[in-house]
Amino acid sequence: MKFDIPVIRHDRTSFSVFADLFASTEDCIFEDIEFDMRATNWFDADMCAVFGALLYNISENLNSVRLTNVPSQIEDILSRNSFLSHYGREKVPDHGGTTISYQRCDVEDDRYFSDYIENEFIRRTEMPRMSTRLLRKFRESVFEIFSNAVQHSSTEMGIFSCGQFFPRRNRLDFTVADLGVGMYRNVKEFLKTDITPAYAINWATEGQNTTKRGDIPGGLGLKLLRDFIDLNGGCIQIVSDSGYWQRRNRQTLKSQMQNPYPGTIVAVEINTADPHSYVLSSELNQDDIF
Amino acid sequence: MRRSVSISVYEVVGSHLSVASNDGQKVYNRLVTALKEDTGVVLSFRNVSTLTSAFLNAAIGQLYGKFQEETIRDLLQVEDMDSDDLELLKRVVDTAKLYFKDPQRFDREVGNILEDDND
Repeated sequence: MKFDIPVIRHDRTSFSVFADLFASTEDCIFEDIEFDMRATNWFDADMCAVFGALLYNISENLNSVRLTNVPSQIEDILSRNSFLSHYGREKVPDHGGTTISYQRCDVEDDRYFSDYIENEFIRRTEMPRMSTRLLRKFRESVFEIFSNAVQHSSTEMGIFSCGQFFPRRNRLDFTVADLGVGMYRNVKEFLKTDITPAYAINWATEGQNTTKRGDIPGGLGLKLLRDFIDLNGGCIQIVSDSGYWQRRNRQTLKSQMQNPYPGTIVAVEINTADPHSYVLSSELNQDDIF
Repeated sequence: MRRSVSISVYEVVGSHLSVASNDGQKVYNRLVTALKEDTGVVLSFRNVSTLTSAFLNAAIGQLYGKFQEETIRDLLQVEDMDSDDLELLKRVVDTAKLYFKDPQRFDREVGNILEDDND
């Protein structure tokens, strides 16, 4: 069985490409599956998180995966971000480079994920110059995305992440994908009503909404992320089932994809030249918290 | 005079990253023991560099399901938090109060989303 991989960008079209590939391979077992990348003359590296989720899902069903005709410039970037080392290629160090490594970690590996974020974002001198506060907000946002996946996905397949920064464009892309229950199913079961997947995503990012039950409250992580992106001037894209949701310039866009993605994808774009100081409008007193 | 103890988040978690819900649970367990005994707690965030809502929900937000607001206000203090972290904690606390106090909110949210869908 052979599939062609087209140009992959960090956008709705490419999320749909991967959703279609999930649909086409979901019944495969003990097959030899080839992904021909002859036509892939661009691959936004953070999308390795989604590609990795797809390939992991395929391998889980004991299929063999081969990536063929990988153009040299794509091979280079996907080697430097460690993605291809998962598929039989050499691991190539990215000294002074712009990649943020591809990682898969299990939901209980929060310490491992923390180390990964520290190593990729804090200790690297080649990271774009961001203000201390922006960097901190960004780290917090990444952890909120990871925590959201840990708490809501109930996945056993792990959490896939990858990123890339673009120094000249002052942009940093980071994507986290899981193969869990998905926001749509969680929200639909919680609300006990028939809603579209895109509205389910919107619901999860608004107000105090949460599908969490039990002793520990929830319902803040995605709102914090949305607030941060609104201030930062970046973008968030979320995919769950066949729902696509985007937030850019304080505007929300929702649409429906043809095939469902079996989990949740959260992709953020950060404006690294953000001059916003993130100074709070009013200083809180410790005595006013509780 | 009321007893009071200090708890260092950094010591409990063992890392400057207080991000995981299960680490928050460890802090919560200590807070519950103290509050049940009517013991004041000063919770120190010294050397903590990153906090998430997931951690704070488990460590502190969860207390509102077990204790009255007045009890928490009387017995719990935080220290060594900067203004960003205080703001995050305030949002977590406000959300937790709603979460435990307002079971009708679910019905309202269903109503809101159906209205949205009909737009």
